Amino acid sequence: MERRFKRKMDALDDIFTFISEFGAENGVSEGHMFKLSLAIEELFVNMVRHNVGGGREILIGLEKAGESLTVSLTDSDVEPFDITEADEYDTGRPLNERPIGRLGVHLVKRMVDKINYEYKNRQSKITLIKDLGNANV
Amino acid sequence: MFSAEFREGDVVALSGRFDASQVEKAQAEFDKVDKSCMVDFENLEYISSGGLSVLLSTQKRLSEAGHKLKLKNMNKHIREVFQYAGFDMIFEIE
Repeated sequence: MERRFKRKMDALDDIFTFISEFGAENGVSEGHMFKLSLAIEELFVNMVRHNVGGGREILIGLEKAGESLTVSLTDSDVEPFDITEADEYDTGRPLNERPIGRLGVHLVKRMVDKINYEYKNRQSKITLIKDLGNANV
Repeated sequence: MFSAEFREGDVVALSGRFDASQVEKAQAEFDKVDKSCMVDFENLEYISSGGLSVLLSTQKRLSEAGHKLKLKNMNKHIREVFQYAGFDMIFEIE
């Protein structure tokens, strides 16, 4: 299933409802739902904040095949930003050296098994793969 | 619906979902904290990096005056997020 959401922070409530509906229909566990919600929120918020001048809506797709869950976020008319090449967040730094921000992409990487990034015709598409049989992620 | 409520005994009780859309509202509440206090997560269902950033900026500000936030009653999913972020190293969690 897929749905378009307005490019604004207020869309988060509708996105969480969409994810809940998908999870209920597909029997996704509470733990996986938490991680799925977090990964999608972080990517959506990144697109809202950084893809300035992008299209009015962001497309989110969710698909389950067996134990594999695929999530995609597609943003149109934007500059490329490959999150798979984003700087690593150093989780070992002391409090006074911790940056406020930059944590979102790090968390996304911990929530899923695989991340793909495609950029074509000014369209960014991020695809996340999650193995629902893997209890460690 | 997210809320941060001040209670007796220097406790801030969080509830609902602490996502990016709640950062401004939450920051305004945490800006009122001027001494060490306990943040109770018992009724908090969810947190993202937006929520973590509010807690981090508050911890930084308080630490400059020798104060700190302590956290308690996290659900296991939120505790995992703190571990993934390395925040369990900069917050005391009960």
